[in-house]
Amino acid sequence: MTTTDTQMNNYLARLRTALTGMTLAEREDVVQEIRMHIRERSSDVQASVEETLAGLGPAEELAQQYRTGLLVQRARHSISPLVILGATLRWATTGVEGFLVFVVALWGYGMGISFLLLALLKPFFPQYTGLWVGPGEFDFSFRMGVTMTNPASPVHEVLG
Amino acid sequence: MTQLNFSTPEIETSDKWEAQMRKGCLEMAVLASLWHGRLYGLEILRVLERDSRLVLSEGTIYPILNRLRAEALVQSQWVEAEAGHPRKYYELTRNGRGRATRMATTWTEFSAGLSLLIEPVLKEKERKRDL
Repeated sequence: MTTTDTQMNNYLARLRTALTGMTLAEREDVVQEIRMHIRERSSDVQASVEETLAGLGPAEELAQQYRTGLLVQRARHSISPLVILGATLRWATTGVEGFLVFVVALWGYGMGISFLLLALLKPFFPQYTGLWVGPGEFDFSFRMGVTMTNPASPVHEVLG
Repeated sequence: MTQLNFSTPEIETSDKWEAQMRKGCLEMAVLASLWHGRLYGLEILRVLERDSRLVLSEGTIYPILNRLRAEALVQSQWVEAEAGHPRKYYELTRNGRGRATRMATTWTEFSAGLSLLIEPVLKEKERKRDL
């Protein structure tokens, strides 16, 4: 085995390891395509294997592009909060835009879960569960959740 | 003639807005490159470079093709080549042709409107250059 074969095989082994979240067949298909690209690129265009591997970028980054693309694609067609959050978390690691989307998604799910808990607790503890608004430390306060003491006026509860 | 370059180091150093704009066009460009028939990855890179001056880094094209395949916009097939090694060819599906048509229409309308808007900006630039 030549040095260039060793370089290519090492790169493909790293790629194979980093390609998580795929079936074995999908992973081998990707590895095979990249292998053929390296062979053809380095034979036809007279580029060395080193140059071809540099053009592809680090194996781990290439694998991350595959994973991110597929996760975002799955999230588009999924209603599962876990799939959507997983996709945005992966996206968040790739740039500012993804990070902002992740923060907004996390906040949205947090608010959703809070309202769900309120709806479940409200029938049992109507006086101590709710959403209170009114003048606070500054001009306006907003409080939501369960409290041990019934908040007194001037705040008022808006969930009924 | 300026060349649009998509290689990763170039994006890091070039203007952010320009990079985002180019990135947004990639899907349309890849779908359009397959309009006349099936191509394999390296051929797509060459067609994009030759016909649209889009120079993608080699590591960019394959994840995009994989995602387009997962979205059923393209389909792929391994074909044994005369050169000795098999090649994975991609071709547009019916959905892919539809998506490419819609994207091309949107792009044409959008760029035509924007061209009108930026015309005075370019004229001003030309006027300053002539002075």
